[in-house]
Amino acid sequence: MKIKHTAILALAFLLLQTSCNKEKRYIYQVQEQELYQSSAQKQNLKTTDQFISIAYSHLFGISITNNELTQYNVSLQALGDKATMQDMIVKSMINRSSAQLVTNTAMRADIPIFVEQTYLRFYNRKPNEFERWKMKDLIEKNTDVTPRMICYSMMTSDEYRYY
Amino acid sequence: MKRKQFIKNAALTAAGGIVMPYILPSGRLFAATGSRRANHVVFCLFAGGVRNLESIHKAEGNMMRNTLNGTEAISADIAPGIVQLPTIASTPLQNNGTLFKEFRYASGPTGHYNGHTTAITGKYSDEAIQLKQPPKYPTIFEYYRKHTSPSTSALNAWWVSNALGPYPYLNFSMFDGYGPAYGANMIQPDSIFNPSSASVLGSPLTLSQTEKSKCDMMRDFMNGQFKIPQAAVSSGIVNSAVDAEHLQTWLNSMIYQVTNGNIQDPWGTGIMTGDMKNIYFGIEVMKEFKPELMVINMTDIDIAHFDFTKYVSAIGMADYALYKLWQAIQSTPGMANDTVLVVVPEHGRNQAANSVVDAYGRYALDHNNDQMSREIFCLMAGKGVKQGQVISQTQGESVDVVPTIANILGFDNEIPFGILDGRVLTEAFT
Repeated sequence: MKIKHTAILALAFLLLQTSCNKEKRYIYQVQEQELYQSSAQKQNLKTTDQFISIAYSHLFGISITNNELTQYNVSLQALGDKATMQDMIVKSMINRSSAQLVTNTAMRADIPIFVEQTYLRFYNRKPNEFERWKMKDLIEKNTDVTPRMICYSMMTSDEYRYY
Repeated sequence: MKRKQFIKNAALTAAGGIVMPYILPSGRLFAATGSRRANHVVFCLFAGGVRNLESIHKAEGNMMRNTLNGTEAISADIAPGIVQLPTIASTPLQNNGTLFKEFRYASGPTGHYNGHTTAITGKYSDEAIQLKQPPKYPTIFEYYRKHTSPSTSALNAWWVSNALGPYPYLNFSMFDGYGPAYGANMIQPDSIFNPSSASVLGSPLTLSQTEKSKCDMMRDFMNGQFKIPQAAVSSGIVNSAVDAEHLQTWLNSMIYQVTNGNIQDPWGTGIMTGDMKNIYFGIEVMKEFKPELMVINMTDIDIAHFDFTKYVSAIGMADYALYKLWQAIQSTPGMANDTVLVVVPEHGRNQAANSVVDAYGRYALDHNNDQMSREIFCLMAGKGVKQGQVISQTQGESVDVVPTIANILGFDNEIPFGILDGRVLTEAFT
């Protein structure tokens, strides 16, 4: 059974003009979305608009402005190595002071809850038992690992590029 | 008996199947190695649609004083509208190589993307060309990366485009057996290295080596838990982890320079057109990565649709940028004296003008497949190229550039027979 969860997904529909052609552009806003039961349900690659909009919503809890979306999108189009540019985009977003990240103290106060909430937030699914154990172990053994580093790792992982 | 014969025949067929692919068009069994004429090629598409009339035939004066011999004065009526940058070449570029004055874009629509695709794939295209997907036939980058060593690093091959739209697609094709695994790194510098982009990409998260290792460790674990769906594999050029790190470090350093206003007028000309910016950043790519193969383009000349005088002016500015590129090649360790520069417009423009008149009473020019729009030039300069040679008769075509580059880099014999339409421009070589 799929559980309801507040996250992001496709909504508004925009028509933008680029050069001589009109192209459809979608903005992904904060809305209710069903959780995945496992990562295997993710079979589709996010488009560049989806990747940027979703990452923005995940980090700031609001929808990206059209100007920023365009700027990020142009940067992605302008580099052949998409993974490298996606990495740069995540690094630029996650380093902003307005990024909503749990403090290190809060994370270490209740690691299992942090792991579950972080998986729900970024992967839109609950971690499986192995992931729960491994991530908890990893955080406990590496005292210098911060929530920012974990979020960055998740947002640049393979799973984050799919839905 | 029949069974024995069958087994013998089957064995012979199998052996033939293994051997045949290695018999090359030249008739040799294996490709010659170490037969490079030079270790680097920079291919500059002097694009946007330039007529031979205003370029090498100097109908409005010598607008390419850094490239072509001669001091013909600019036509008096348009001279006030021409941006005249200083001549920086002590000897024009043509003296460092061979100039094909009557090169041809012989077939296919005279569209900018068609022309670019032809130049980069060595195949003429038609009206059915797709603007939102990679080309049908392999690009020179894929031939290079698949058929020559070192084939492993995508940082050895670059496509530096001065426009988005369909142009980013030209770094690899959809051709079976080639594709993104052999593609080039593509960059459209002006969309990344500008203040707006710097405002969203600047101030990135920086990680110490230890932090990076721990992030890599966590990501490796996460990736191990996810199976990438084969039906939706991300298509695109992929750099190795080390190369991606190198690329990102360089991009960040360039963005940092843009943020700090260090790249506003780097050549001190008081003007930086789109073409000049693209060449400037292409030079930065060259200095950083010393690619064995780089293709770069200019397109400002296309203003000719609306303003003839600005078109002529743009030729002059493109010429200036081109010589800057040549200077940079000659001053980049590892590339100096070991590079061939190839310069070709993607197509020309119509003989007949359109109805748009500029401030100097000159009519603008389109490009609609007439004979003049197929007349272009080709300049090859650098190591192993005949110096000061001018070929004035009609000779050479756009589709010859790819096999010629392949020959310079020593892998033309390894390209599967029958794909390419052109020939090696051997008459340009010493």
